[in-house]
Amino acid sequence: MSKKRPAAKKSAKAAKKTAPRRQGMSVVMNKRGGVPERLAAFTNLSLSKPGSDDALESLLEILRDTEEPIDVRLRALQTLGAAAFASPSFPAIERDYIATLRQVATDPDPELRQQVLGILAREKDGFAQKKLLEGLRDPAKALVPPEKALQLLAYDIHAEAYPLAREIVNHPPNAIAKREALRLLGADPGAVPIFERILRDKTETPEIRQVSAAALHGLDPNRLQAQVREIVLDPAEQDEMRETSLTAIKQLAPAAVAQDKQLMDRVAQLSSEGSEPVKLSARQLLGKYPR
Amino acid sequence: MSAGVAARSEHDIAAMIDASAADPDRCADLLREDHEIYAQRGAAAVVRLRGWILLTLARTGITDRTLVHVLEELDAGLDPYLVAAAAHALRTYPRRSPDLAPFLMRAIENVTAHDEPISFEQYGEYATADVSTSPLQEVFETLAWLGPAARAILPQLETLRRKSHALSKARRRDLDRLIANLRNATAVDEKACCSPPFGIRDLWSSARGRTTPPSIGDTRLEDHDGNSLTFDDLCRGHVTIAIFFYTRCDNPLKCSLSVTKLGRLQRLIEERGLTGQIHTAAMTYDPAFDLPDRLRRYGQLRGMRPNAENRLLRAPDGIDPLRRHFALGVSFIESLVNRHRIEAYILDAEGRPVYAFERLRWDEQAVLDRAVEVLNRRETGEAPTTPARSIVSSAMTVMASLAWALFPKCPMCWAAYVSAFGIAGLDRLPYLPWVQPVLAAAMIITLGTTWLRARETGRLEGACLVTVGVILIVLTRFGTLDAAGWGLALTLLGSVIGAFAPRIAHNRAVPA
Amino acid sequence: MRVELQINNTPDEKARFIAWAPAPCRIRVSDPSGTSSPTVSVTITGKSAAGGGAIVFRKAASGTFASTISLTLPTDGTSVPFFVAGKFGSPSTTAGDVTVEARTGTTLVGSVPLMVRIRKNANTLTTAERDRFVSALAQLNNQGTGRYQDFCDMHATQLSLDQGHGAPAFLPWHRAYLLDLERELQSFDPSVTLPYWRFDQAAANIFSLDFLGAADSIGTVQFSAGNPLRFWRTTGVPGINRRPLFPTASAPPGLRTETQTLDLGNRYALFREMEFNPHGSAHTSFGGLIRNPATAPRDPLFFLLHCNVDRLWAKWQKKNKRFDPAVAASFESGANDPGHNLPDTMWPWNGVTGGTRPPTAPGGELASSPCVNAPGPSPRVRDSLDFQGAIDPAAVMGFGYDDTAF
Repeated sequence: MSKKRPAAKKSAKAAKKTAPRRQGMSVVMNKRGGVPERLAAFTNLSLSKPGSDDALESLLEILRDTEEPIDVRLRALQTLGAAAFASPSFPAIERDYIATLRQVATDPDPELRQQVLGILAREKDGFAQKKLLEGLRDPAKALVPPEKALQLLAYDIHAEAYPLAREIVNHPPNAIAKREALRLLGADPGAVPIFERILRDKTETPEIRQVSAAALHGLDPNRLQAQVREIVLDPAEQDEMRETSLTAIKQLAPAAVAQDKQLMDRVAQLSSEGSEPVKLSARQLLGKYPR
Repeated sequence: MSAGVAARSEHDIAAMIDASAADPDRCADLLREDHEIYAQRGAAAVVRLRGWILLTLARTGITDRTLVHVLEELDAGLDPYLVAAAAHALRTYPRRSPDLAPFLMRAIENVTAHDEPISFEQYGEYATADVSTSPLQEVFETLAWLGPAARAILPQLETLRRKSHALSKARRRDLDRLIANLRNATAVDEKACCSPPFGIRDLWSSARGRTTPPSIGDTRLEDHDGNSLTFDDLCRGHVTIAIFFYTRCDNPLKCSLSVTKLGRLQRLIEERGLTGQIHTAAMTYDPAFDLPDRLRRYGQLRGMRPNAENRLLRAPDGIDPLRRHFALGVSFIESLVNRHRIEAYILDAEGRPVYAFERLRWDEQAVLDRAVEVLNRRETGEAPTTPARSIVSSAMTVMASLAWALFPKCPMCWAAYVSAFGIAGLDRLPYLPWVQPVLAAAMIITLGTTWLRARETGRLEGACLVTVGVILIVLTRFGTLDAAGWGLALTLLGSVIGAFAPRIAHNRAVPA
Repeated sequence: MRVELQINNTPDEKARFIAWAPAPCRIRVSDPSGTSSPTVSVTITGKSAAGGGAIVFRKAASGTFASTISLTLPTDGTSVPFFVAGKFGSPSTTAGDVTVEARTGTTLVGSVPLMVRIRKNANTLTTAERDRFVSALAQLNNQGTGRYQDFCDMHATQLSLDQGHGAPAFLPWHRAYLLDLERELQSFDPSVTLPYWRFDQAAANIFSLDFLGAADSIGTVQFSAGNPLRFWRTTGVPGINRRPLFPTASAPPGLRTETQTLDLGNRYALFREMEFNPHGSAHTSFGGLIRNPATAPRDPLFFLLHCNVDRLWAKWQKKNKRFDPAVAASFESGANDPGHNLPDTMWPWNGVTGGTRPPTAPGGELASSPCVNAPGPSPRVRDSLDFQGAIDPAAVMGFGYDDTAF
């Protein structure tokens, strides 16, 4: 009798611990329940301890079930993502998780597709890359807009997207796609001439030129400094580009830039001319290198 | 890359791989990283192709030649498809060696958190449902196939069992079954079984000798401080341990670990007082991106202390000369590496790669020991001695002695000897009395070289035995003794001992 | 007569930073001219600039704090100890905005400026505080070649993630991780601290062009032209992808509130449920880098998120008196994996590789501080608990939160 009591105590304690989780899960899984109640129940789930496999598998069921309300499916996806950070049992369902995500990547709901493809792309999943590349080559097969596909493909610098990105820079379907194509090319040192050309092209939008500056900085900082120097010196330049260039010099240029008299004279001039942001950036640069 | 291959789709190449199934050598050749089928393909495509090649090789069975390609995926591979294919293919290897088990254990550590669904049904297929296999499933199946030969990793499997909440229920059942079977199994006699083929020893790469490549002495390099130097400048006058890497490698078990190990080697070299005699060099596959500042920080953040004797370098004019010189195992998409193997080299004072450690992770101590060997050889002025050369050299010593001992004393004896052989043509050879002194001279020369080697190695046993053996042969030849057999045996034994004694530097002993 | 004042028991100017925990100081007569007696009485007070920090003092290692203390100093130059602490509720906004002054009578005989350096709510930072933080962060990133990459690599593979997730050392490991990064930022600008993103409240200022950026329709983060974070780069292409799945004028839905989090339970094992929610849920309130464990630190918002997680732990510790590792409820002892037991050192700072640890240990030892010695270059799990020296004054790590007193 005495031997049974500790075991009974132990199982009662364990039952007490798992009771809230089961309660939460039963509300979450209740298809007949109201969506707000089910969503609220997700908040009370407890998935940080070992042994959560079954709960995680239940969430995968919800995610796969196209009959479920989309908000509940999206919350299940979010909850699974939170468990990826916190649950020691998550690796146990990794295989099913990836299988489910791949299944759901072609779901009718665009938000769900986008989130799922994002998760897979950040894991450098070959399936996701294949789908995204197919969509860029053939818009009829696209699961996300081209700018989103480029953004997601850029998570893996070893993906096969460079020729497509170059094509899109030259013939962009829209401005955001061009920008994302340039970001993706930011991993390719062979694209330095493209970035230099665009950075100095006043017909390009400031956003495109600024992305080119950032990309050039990552690939060849010396060439960026040479270009931003010219931009600062150019009296016909746009204020926004001046400001970006002054920031690049202040943050990133080697200290020897203070010896560049022509440049620093121009910075001194800009500290009292142009837009307020330009003046501020110029003064900050002068403050860093007092004359 | 030939225009033909560039234009072919992955599926066409997969069909070509399928067609090569009947020719395993041709199929295995497709695993060379620099093969043109990989050029300008994304890393995911390279994974698909390589996995398919492993599966194709498995149809006819993994051989000694292809085993290392399987093991390298288990050792340091992180891609689930490749690890699964490698584990699957390993079950077709003809020998269930205990040496294979630790590689499978490494694979478990590498992919536990990436146990993706995998399909082997069709080329390029990605599993979207759970009716598939996975890398862990394949590894566990292969461990089961290995049977008692996996017993050495039983403690690690039991440790894994304690952390089994990270495994699915199916894999926990597999693990329980495996552990139960191994507990009941008797240990496998490792000597009775067989060792893995040359190139794999004690879980690390072992050194392979390399043939001398064309010189690239004028190739321009730039180091982590932006200093310009030639390949000759880098290598001349000392031994160099060189590795290849790039800062954008996303497999921490390859480049990041290799550079970290080079940092450890730097410390080992200093501890052994070999600074200045052995240098290290980490060369990037990605010279356009890996500018000096990036190189320096990458090395520093991994424990290297870059300086004139321990450099990180790029080839600003392009990597092609280095690719040819080292026969590098690398392929590219644009300027980015899409696949590379682990590779470390020992270079002599002329920059020639004398030894290579390839594909598997290498051990710092083993690499340093080889570098010391090359250093010692350099100081004695000797060419590299391979085991084969040592054996041949000993055999020639014995043959000269034997031939002199048995040389017929007269033309009649000569006729009797050659007729006994009955070899076509040999019985028409005339009696050549001048051969006898030639053989005697050969025997004396080999005796002399044996004593020279004894002086260099400091080991006299071999030379003494050879001397006694020769004396017995001479006495037998002149009829005062009948001990030719003993003479030959002592000569052979002394030659072998002398051939394998390690050399020491003339002026100082290098610590062991 | 002149006196010399040392903050944190060192003349080093770089050590003139304190938090809410008492910092050891000393004072001595450096120039006795004008004195004739063997001792002299000196009054120590704090003088705050407008909007600056405020400080309090005490003479001994324990006791109440006061705005003024009197000390008797030997004129032979022997040092006399005392303690200074930030006055709770009055943190500094810039370095040196509060001064320790020593007077004999009304005569000022010595002074030293210092900063009450405290981690604050990122949404309410001053413009100057925000800009200094952003500038230091951009320098640490340094086009992807700076030490920031180490912090990404520490959190990138499953083995490295296992060192601080899904197990008891989740909170201690991240506390050390944040401190390491913060000290690296302070090597560029010592006035900088890590701010926290209070994720259960609206924080529109954080998600603005001048701070951590505003996402466009596909989640590419935009910055103002003068924001140095526009040159941000980690492991790959330039920029940051972060798509809020909620309107940033509000708090993300579905997260436990601060009250709910602090009420999870008074034992560590119960409190650690917060790793899933609100911590995990905060991560997954976005699409983009911060959403996946392996890519999350590539977005600097990661550190503000975790600073709030750490603040919640600090608040829970204060509420439940859980600073002492010897108290069972302060931690979750048991048969834990290596790195998750109180006496264990923590990867990567311990340099241990192989086995259950990753094959490399990026970044080396934990950054040191000129102000304090704790937690040392290779901290143990236990060292993370008593961060304000509530149990052992030597355990002070040199940081505090604006809403959690000593």
